Amino acid sequence: MDRLLLGIDALAFLEEEGLPVLESSLAKHVDAAVSIASRMRFPVALKISSPNVVHKTEFGGIRLPLHSESEVREAFHELADTFLSSNPQANLEGVIVQKLGKGFELIVGTMKDEQFGPVLMVGSGGIFVEAINDTSFRLIPIEGTDAREMIEELRGCKVLKNQRTMTVDLATIESFLLQTSTLAESHPEIHEMDLNPVFVSADGIAVCDARIRMG
Amino acid sequence: MMSERLEKLFCPDSVAVVGASNGFDKLGYHVMKSLIQGKYGGEIFPVNPKGEIVWGLHSYPSLRDIRGTIDLAVIVVPASLVPQVLHECGQKMVKGVVLITAGFREIEDQKGGVLETEIRNIADQYALPILGPNTFGFVNPTFEINASFTSELSLLEKGGVALVSQSGGIAHLCGFLATEQRIGFSKLIGLGNRCNVDFAEVLGYLVERDKATKVIALYLEGLDRPREMVEAAKSLRGTKPIIAYKAGKGEKSDSASRFHTGSLAGNYRIWRGAFRQAGILEVSSIEELLDTAKVLDSCPPPGGPRIAVLSSQAGPGMVASDAIEKSGLKLSHFTARTQDRINSLLPPIAMRTNPVDMGPAWYSPQDILDLFEAVLEDEGTDGIIFMAMYASANENLANEIAQYVKRVDFLGKPVVACLSAPREIWNDAITGIDKRKGFAVLPTPERSVVAMGNLWRVKLIMDNGEG
Repeated sequence: MDRLLLGIDALAFLEEEGLPVLESSLAKHVDAAVSIASRMRFPVALKISSPNVVHKTEFGGIRLPLHSESEVREAFHELADTFLSSNPQANLEGVIVQKLGKGFELIVGTMKDEQFGPVLMVGSGGIFVEAINDTSFRLIPIEGTDAREMIEELRGCKVLKNQRTMTVDLATIESFLLQTSTLAESHPEIHEMDLNPVFVSADGIAVCDARIRMG
Repeated sequence: MMSERLEKLFCPDSVAVVGASNGFDKLGYHVMKSLIQGKYGGEIFPVNPKGEIVWGLHSYPSLRDIRGTIDLAVIVVPASLVPQVLHECGQKMVKGVVLITAGFREIEDQKGGVLETEIRNIADQYALPILGPNTFGFVNPTFEINASFTSELSLLEKGGVALVSQSGGIAHLCGFLATEQRIGFSKLIGLGNRCNVDFAEVLGYLVERDKATKVIALYLEGLDRPREMVEAAKSLRGTKPIIAYKAGKGEKSDSASRFHTGSLAGNYRIWRGAFRQAGILEVSSIEELLDTAKVLDSCPPPGGPRIAVLSSQAGPGMVASDAIEKSGLKLSHFTARTQDRINSLLPPIAMRTNPVDMGPAWYSPQDILDLFEAVLEDEGTDGIIFMAMYASANENLANEIAQYVKRVDFLGKPVVACLSAPREIWNDAITGIDKRKGFAVLPTPERSVVAMGNLWRVKLIMDNGEG
């Protein structure tokens, strides 16, 4: 049976496997959300967490950036209300409080191609993913040179390399791609995986959201 | 690699043609014609149930009736008879088969697929390598055998290019284009349906066992097990250059995935990544495949991407310069010494920095050669694009260059030349220049530059060999 790992569960799985993820925590009620947020330090993001919501953005299930306790409180109520009014029967697990991601957005993913078998992808993320299809693929497993070449193939790489706008260490992305390749290789039960977005900045790289289909 | 099993298939000491015929409307006629007119030096055994004289040779009713060993069997009988013939090949210890017969899994009727599985099983039983089915055959100019149904492919020049094609039509197209452009082949191979000889094995053979092959050019449509090919190429990386053209470039994913990755993963996108991973240089047209193969076969690799553009007329020089950056190359900066030498040969009425307009040297082939030599010796230049369009006033130029090529040692730097003239004029001279000492002649400035760019890319791939 296929099983879908979403949101906080997917992030927990990735973290356990040693991938860098944005600090995230599930809050079941508003007071918990506020205390988690202030412990994390502002700004933070709030996201709906429910097996019924796969595409959080389309659903309107994200509130960010939140800079204070009162903003967190307000956002929590809004999210819960929106969710329950459109899904009265559905199960709201809670709301994810997450450190606000910053930097350039990448999408990193794996899938199994009928002919090629496991394949790794990296692409320019955010609003560009579908629009310009700025992606690069390799067969899993990849090596160091492959990781470097994948990044250099992206048109978005020009932004990453521009010292004025970005100071990203490309080696950070390289080792992240290698890690993702290894993860997919060592877990053949993973059918497909979207790490989207992955934020990369001078501070490093971290997965913000993920979807994993296992079987 | 079990590539040694292909040795006697491509270089057989004897060939049986099963289905040999005297009738022009039979493929068995044309295969016989190819072998005989292609001056194949080994023994030829026509096999024909009627036992008549075929192409002047005694024929045999079956393979069993032949005394002596058979290295290669070329089979052109109807598909339904193929299993029986393959059993006979196995029993006769034939070393390899070219199965020209069509009507296997390439046809819509499912029976074709069933029959192909059957012949694959028979081949496995006897460990018999089969090129095809549904192939035009192969030509091995080095060994002087044309085991195809097109006798005119015997006219292919000998050279270092091995072209391995999934399509017979493309192999013919490349063969004929190559003849026009003086490209020399070590092998022209049609893989057809790839029953049990696929790209991976042929790559191994060409790299490890075929000394005549210097560069491998692939034409691919789609493979059932692409990873095998990728792995083979990867393990051979850094030995001989491999370039490829992939047909079927649909970008759209056929996956019904709701994941971004799945929906973005079009088959061709994965192919592109796989080529890079394998160290295979992908090209974007058949023309570029042949141009690149020719340059790789003829020119030394450039030490860097800095290219000088020398043109007898300004226009072609500008067109070439425009193409330089797009092809991953740079216009070189001449050293002061080189610039002085150029300035002493050209008056300041023309462009004397890179690109160099050699127009003022119009009447003096010697000045043009001196300019060429100055740039060839320039320390800041890794390769040269040399262009000259014919004009009545420079009629002697090509001959002078041909004489010069005879005199000099190997140039040591790649020179891709675009020499254009009316039909029949300069032909002999160009033949004397092309593929000599590091020169390669291509038809246009842009194509010359693109091929030079690929020469540089391949050098980078080869240097990363162990990576």
